[in-house]
Amino acid sequence: MAILEGLKYTKSHEWVKENGDGTVTVGLTDYAQQELGDLVFVNLPMAGDAVTAGEAFGDVESVKAVSDVFSPVSGEVAEINEELLDAPQLINETPYDAWFIKVENVGDTEELLSAAEYETFLAQGE
Amino acid sequence: MVERTYYYIQQETEPFRNLALERYLLENVPKHSCILYLWQNQHTVVIGRNQNCWQECKLQQLEQDGGVMVRRLSGGGAVYHDLGNLNFTFLIGKKDYHVPRQLDVILHALRQLGIEAQKSGRNDLIADGRKFSGNAFYESGGRCYHHGTLMMDVDREMLGKYLRVSASKLASKGVTSVQSRVVNLKELNLELTKEKLEQALIDGMQAVYGHQVQPYSQVWLDEEIIAAYEREFRSDAWRFGQRIPFSWETEHRFSWGNFQLQCQANCGKIQQAVIYSDAMDANLIGEMAAQLAGCAFGSKAMAQRLSQLEPRQEIADVCQYLLEQDI
Repeated sequence: MAILEGLKYTKSHEWVKENGDGTVTVGLTDYAQQELGDLVFVNLPMAGDAVTAGEAFGDVESVKAVSDVFSPVSGEVAEINEELLDAPQLINETPYDAWFIKVENVGDTEELLSAAEYETFLAQGE
Repeated sequence: MVERTYYYIQQETEPFRNLALERYLLENVPKHSCILYLWQNQHTVVIGRNQNCWQECKLQQLEQDGGVMVRRLSGGGAVYHDLGNLNFTFLIGKKDYHVPRQLDVILHALRQLGIEAQKSGRNDLIADGRKFSGNAFYESGGRCYHHGTLMMDVDREMLGKYLRVSASKLASKGVTSVQSRVVNLKELNLELTKEKLEQALIDGMQAVYGHQVQPYSQVWLDEEIIAAYEREFRSDAWRFGQRIPFSWETEHRFSWGNFQLQCQANCGKIQQAVIYSDAMDANLIGEMAAQLAGCAFGSKAMAQRLSQLEPRQEIADVCQYLLEQDI
């Protein structure tokens, strides 16, 4: 199971990339996609929608369940990955390329873990 | 480890309220606990979180007959509920969530009632080779629920009356349903009642988890929060506004000529309508198409929009035709 250096992670299994221009990109980790199984549908917000740190901004449906996806930051959706709407399996295939949303005007941020901390967190069985 | 188990038997049969209570129980299930919530919906089609309601449900027919369509939080396909059906929900923390164990509660209960049942595939329970229970799952913020139907004595004619098997004129993204051969448990145990099944499920819970099952107290419910969830489940935005693009087309030969309508819709609204006709002039075609843009999808809403145009025989005919369409 892959955990990438340079990204940050949440305890609800989202990855967060700080883009250096004040925006962040959010996706689901390799661990999360494995737990969920084959994805059949993804719900994303629209560009311009507000997201709140610690609250659901979308959901994914797999053959097993619907699972909410949480925003690690508060802010405004700058862009969504439209490609996922037609091809949710990309999240299973390349979870760290299959980003969900880009957020701008970032305010509050959830507690984020480094790659090493996330690995420890997973090893402890959450 | 599950250390405490609770049950809650809902007496009300109003689906929006029932789904709101289910969500509330999920968000408030105590640590290391499992709640078994038992509930019934009167005359309801329940669709999966990411389904197109027009593709799955004969909405117009259902509403004419006084039924309601609701969208649940969990995934999967569409089902019909009446008071011949009992729903169960296991609400539990993610660490204690274990689908086979939860299903054992159901199987245990049925065995006590003299019915041998088996799991089938990922989401179904069958007896006598036929399905009586469809299961679906939802997870949020470290808590999970697993719910399902138990067909005791459902009016099976209603399944075909309100659930759409194939919608040839409608092409949509979203999750589609799988049709199954079904059986009512009452056919397998003539003495079965709702009360007996409820008691057997509570007994099954006790047998599988090994704790005395306590009633979940009504005192722990926050009515204000539940009422807010109920409003959300009832809202058009939740029921129809899901971001699922689809197209619908229809064609008819009127006395004055041919008429063909193609609609592109998303979030429950028509984004673009295109009309072809060998008899209407281009102005009228353009006016009608423009009038439908932005309209809520559905025969009534569309007919109402068109009837706002300057009256003409063609428009009146098309309105009448739309109202007869099963969407």
